[in-house]
Amino acid sequence: MRTRVRAGDPSAFAELFDAYARAVYNHAFRLTADWSTAEDVMAATFMEAWRLRDKVDEEGGSLRPWLLGIATNTARNQYRSSRRYRAAAQAAAAAELSVPDHAEEVADRIDGRQRLATALTALAKLRRPEREVIALCLGEGLDYEAAAEALGIPVGTVASRLSRARRKLRKLAEASEEEQQRAIGAGQLAGDRPSAALAGNLRESLVKREGGRPGRQTRGDHAHAIRPAQEGNR
Amino acid sequence: MNANTSRQNAAAWEEGAQLFDRTTRDLPPGRHQFHKERMMAQIHETRQAEQTGNDRGARRTTPARTRRFGLPRPAITLPALAATVAVAIGAVVVTSGGEARQGGLATGPALTTTVGVASSEGVPQLLDEIALAAADGKHPVAGPGQYVYIESKVAETFVRTVNDKSSLASHALHTRQVWKSPDGTKGWLIDPAVNDSPEGETLSLPDEQGNTPRADLNSPSYDYLAKLTTDPDKLLAKIYKETEGQGNTPDQQAFTTIGDLLRQSYPPGELYSALFKTAAKIPGVVMVDDAVDAAGRHGVAVARLDETSGQREEWIFDKKTHVFLGDRTVQVKGTSGEDGLIKPGTVVATSAIVKRAIVDGIKETPSQAG
Repeated sequence: MRTRVRAGDPSAFAELFDAYARAVYNHAFRLTADWSTAEDVMAATFMEAWRLRDKVDEEGGSLRPWLLGIATNTARNQYRSSRRYRAAAQAAAAAELSVPDHAEEVADRIDGRQRLATALTALAKLRRPEREVIALCLGEGLDYEAAAEALGIPVGTVASRLSRARRKLRKLAEASEEEQQRAIGAGQLAGDRPSAALAGNLRESLVKREGGRPGRQTRGDHAHAIRPAQEGNR
Repeated sequence: MNANTSRQNAAAWEEGAQLFDRTTRDLPPGRHQFHKERMMAQIHETRQAEQTGNDRGARRTTPARTRRFGLPRPAITLPALAATVAVAIGAVVVTSGGEARQGGLATGPALTTTVGVASSEGVPQLLDEIALAAADGKHPVAGPGQYVYIESKVAETFVRTVNDKSSLASHALHTRQVWKSPDGTKGWLIDPAVNDSPEGETLSLPDEQGNTPRADLNSPSYDYLAKLTTDPDKLLAKIYKETEGQGNTPDQQAFTTIGDLLRQSYPPGELYSALFKTAAKIPGVVMVDDAVDAAGRHGVAVARLDETSGQREEWIFDKKTHVFLGDRTVQVKGTSGEDGLIKPGTVVATSAIVKRAIVDGIKETPSQAG
């Protein structure tokens, strides 16, 4: 495949597109917080890949990291400043949460909207290099070597960025959880649904899997106890 | 891609999957195909642009197919090629009432055929007989002031893109007439698939850029062919040398070069016969039991499969007399073209020799000459 891509074989690019368009599209969404922009980035990524075809090494595995790397650069050009990304992410998160609950909308979908909003809000709190590493490693499941290849940075840098980004996300989760606890204490739960949901999901995403954490069970119960209330079951 | 490397434990992976489980989705319906087609069209476009760019400088290193229905003279080949490219990428396609026209020529659906059975047995014998038949035929000598006249019927299939939608279309079967002076400096072409106006266009040299290209294997004049060696081994060596770097493989390019000479020139008798003896020396040449030329005449074919494109070029001969009738190129293996639109059984191009003669004036046909 690498040889064919290098040689500029159009059918190789057709195959690449079929195999990875979806992954590039989703990765681009995580970096732009907008599905329609993500589609543009995806299309631009494959044209850029065509242009850069002779930069591909003969040796190597899947070309997915290479494509995701190009997508990362392309997305970077869409949002030059973190401020603009934050604005887009917050708008998207708000849009997901502000959709009125329809009676027929199943609980699962409401949960999905909240989870999406959670992911976007979390990504918006990170610095761009951290966000890119998180999106590649957690979003697309690349290992450190592949992420390093995609971003053109040393493996050690990927590791340190990722662990820093994780710490940040955990802190955010805990902070929003505390806020949530205060909210519950003050009896503001009903009026503060999005924020409560966010804290619950974010904490669940980032903390629940940390084995052996004291009090884990208790917190988990909390999150669970809150959600039915948000869904209007009570 | 496995995320669970030594440095990334299962817990961390789960964590990511949870955070991002709602950020994955398919492209909106139809968008995958839309973007894919657009990408393929752009790739096609840049490839063609690169090829055309190469034409202006060094010799082309790309498949010979693009040259096929071009004209014998490079300065004309360029605009003709550009026109074909433009149609292929949809840049100048005018749609009126659903039918696209180019150069006043109607287009229709893709041309298809049944693929004949190929066999490598009996190829040398067949080519021997063809060479003998070729040596028998009379080949009048073209003198100064005269013209080599070639009338053929041609049709071809191509990928047409309109509004990002690609489909196969074809140029309807039409007559192509070429007049060339023996030295190659004067000429005229009437081919509605190429010409802008029904009168045709000049092939006379020097061209609009003031160049007088030298005759070579790819744009031979009658005089050039008359001086060419008729020793099959020497001729084959010359063909390999002069077409080096062109086409998909050296062998396929040699076969195509000879095919072009058969179709687009009127080789002097000895050379005509030598061309077949030379073709017999190219590896991979096969015999196809049944093939049809553009005029609908059935015959036996000498053919070679281009492994790169999956297309087989077939030279069609009368089964009894072994006279060269015409040729065609058929997609026989896999698909080619944009999005693999050209499927097996598609006739990419087809031609039939109608008349070859020496005439006394440009735009004069043999019947007029008496």
